Amino acid sequence: MTRKALFGGLALAAMSLGSAAQAQQPAPAVIAVPPLTSPDSGTRGNEMLQVGWEATQLIASDLGQTTELAPLKPNRDDYYSYPEVTAPMFSKWRQKANVLLTGFVQSRSDGRLTIGCYVYDVDKGRELARKGFVIAPSDWRRAAHKCSGLAYTAVTGAPGSFDSRIAYVAETGTGDAKVRRVAVMDSDGNNYRLVTAGDAMVLSPSLSPKAARLAYVSLAEGKPTVRLRDLGSGQERPLVTADAISFAPRFSPDGSRIAFSMMLGPNSDIYVVGADGGLPQRLTASPAVDTDPSFSPDGSKIVFESDRSGSQQIYVMNADGSGERRISFGQGAYASPEWSPDGQWIAFTHRGPYGRRIGVMKADGTGERMLTMGPSDEGPSWAANSRELLFQRTAVGGHNHLYRIALDGGEARQVKIPQDGSDPDWSGAMD
Amino acid sequence: MRKSLFLVGLLLAATAAQAQILPFLAKRGPQQPVVQGIDALRADFAAQAGGTTVYYGLGSAILGAPAKAVLTAQAAWIRRHPDVVVRVEGFGDGGDTRDHALAVGARRAAEARDYLVLLGVPSAQVTTSSWGNERSGLGRAVTVLVR
Repeated sequence: MTRKALFGGLALAAMSLGSAAQAQQPAPAVIAVPPLTSPDSGTRGNEMLQVGWEATQLIASDLGQTTELAPLKPNRDDYYSYPEVTAPMFSKWRQKANVLLTGFVQSRSDGRLTIGCYVYDVDKGRELARKGFVIAPSDWRRAAHKCSGLAYTAVTGAPGSFDSRIAYVAETGTGDAKVRRVAVMDSDGNNYRLVTAGDAMVLSPSLSPKAARLAYVSLAEGKPTVRLRDLGSGQERPLVTADAISFAPRFSPDGSRIAFSMMLGPNSDIYVVGADGGLPQRLTASPAVDTDPSFSPDGSKIVFESDRSGSQQIYVMNADGSGERRISFGQGAYASPEWSPDGQWIAFTHRGPYGRRIGVMKADGTGERMLTMGPSDEGPSWAANSRELLFQRTAVGGHNHLYRIALDGGEARQVKIPQDGSDPDWSGAMD
Repeated sequence: MRKSLFLVGLLLAATAAQAQILPFLAKRGPQQPVVQGIDALRADFAAQAGGTTVYYGLGSAILGAPAKAVLTAQAAWIRRHPDVVVRVEGFGDGGDTRDHALAVGARRAAEARDYLVLLGVPSAQVTTSSWGNERSGLGRAVTVLVR
C-alpha cells in the first residue's frame, strides 16, 4: 500500500507540472544511493567498504536504466556510520531525493559476506523495505542487483528484473555467410558467454524462468529442430524424438513444460511437452500456420499466432488446447505474441504498410497501441517487471541489433553487446 | 567427412595402366569402386531436371505449372538414381516474421516433396527443411542433393 501511495503521489506531482505528454509518463522518483557502509574495522573494514562502493555504483547504474527511478550519482563523501543504516538522517536528503537506499557489507567468519539493504521514503521518514543476503564474495554483483530490485519494487510495486539473464543469437558477418551462436549474459551485460559453437545456424533461444535451461532451434541436423540444453552441465538433447521440423520453443512459467511448433506434414501446429521428457501433446489442429506460443503467467493459457483467417492474427487457448478464441482484429499481420509476466499485456510484432513494429494490447485484445515506429522491428520479450521489452531491430545493411523500450513509451535504447544480435529472450528474476 | 561427399557409382576394374594414368585411383587399389563427385552429380541433376529451384507466389505454397514441370523432371532423374537422397529446402517471404517464415518455407518444401513422391520418388529419398527468411533467395524451394 505504502509503495503504491508513494508512486501515485509522485505521478500526481508530475502531472501537475504541465503538458499532456509529461502526464503520460510520470516523473521518475529521485533516489539517493550513498555508499554502502560496513560494521567491520581495520583492513577488513576497508575491503568491505570497497565492495560496498562497487555495489553502490552497480545499484545506481541498475536504477538509472529504469524509467521510474532516477538515482543521484553516488558520492563517497556521503559516507555514513553503521548505526545510520537503520536510522538515516532524512533531513540531509529531503531537498534532493524522494527515496533513500542505505545498506552495509559485513564479512562473516565462514568467509562469506552479508549484504543488507534498506529503502526509505525520505519525505515521510519511514522504511519501505529491507532485505539481507548471505553470499560468496564473488557473488556481490547479484546481491547488488537484488538491492536494486528491492528499491524498484518498493517504489513501483513491480518485481525487479536486475538479477536476470538475456539469451540472444550473436551474429558475425552478413548475408548467407553470417555465423550465428546462442549467447547468454546477465541483463547488465556481465557474464557474457557463447553457448553454441557456430557450426550450424541457430534461432530462437528461450530461457527457462530461472535461466537454468535453454531451448533453441538448431539446423545442425539439416532441418530446424528444437534442442534443450542444461546451461550448468552443457548436456543437450533434441526436445522431441520425432523426425520433424520443430521451432518456436517457450517454457511454461514454472519451467515444467515447453510449448513449441512442429510440422508432421505440411502444417505447423502447436504442441506441448514436459521439459523432462514425455510424449508431446498436440494443441492445435487447424490447417493453417499456428506458431509462436507463449504461456500466461499462471500457466493456464497459451497465446499464439495463426494465419487461419487468411492473415496472421493472435489467438488465446487454454493450455490443453481447448477454448481457442481470436483476440486481434486489426489490419495487417499480428505475430510473435508474448504474454507479460504480470498477465496484463500481450506484446506482438505487427506487419503493415510501414514494415514491422512492436506493439502491445491488453490480454483480452483491447487497448492496442504501437510502441515502436519500425520499420524492421521484431520479436518482443518482456522484462520480469512487465514494464519493459527487449526486441530485435534490423538496420540498413542487414545488421541486427537488440533494443529495449519501456511500456510507458519513450525512445528505444540499444543494448550493448559484443557483436550483432537477434531474437532476444529475457529470463525471469533469479532466486 | 570428405568421403561422404562422394557418391558410390558403377564398379570399374581398373588395370595397372589405368592406375598409372589415374594415381588417384591407384591409391584406392584395383578393386575399389570408381566414385563420382557429388558436384558432378549435382550438375547433372540441375541440367537434366531443368533447374533445382521452383518458385511460389507471395505467401503461397501452391505449385504452379512451371514448378510442376521442374519437379516432374526432378522426379524422373531421382528415380533413375535410387542411391541419392535429396533435401527440399523451402524459403519464406521477405519482411515476414521469423517463425511464420520458417513455417511457410517448410510448407513449400513439403508441397514440393509430396509432389515428387506423387510422381513415384520413394519418400525415403526426400527430406525437407526450411530456411525461413534467414537466407537470401526468398519465395522458392530448392532441391539439394545431399547424398
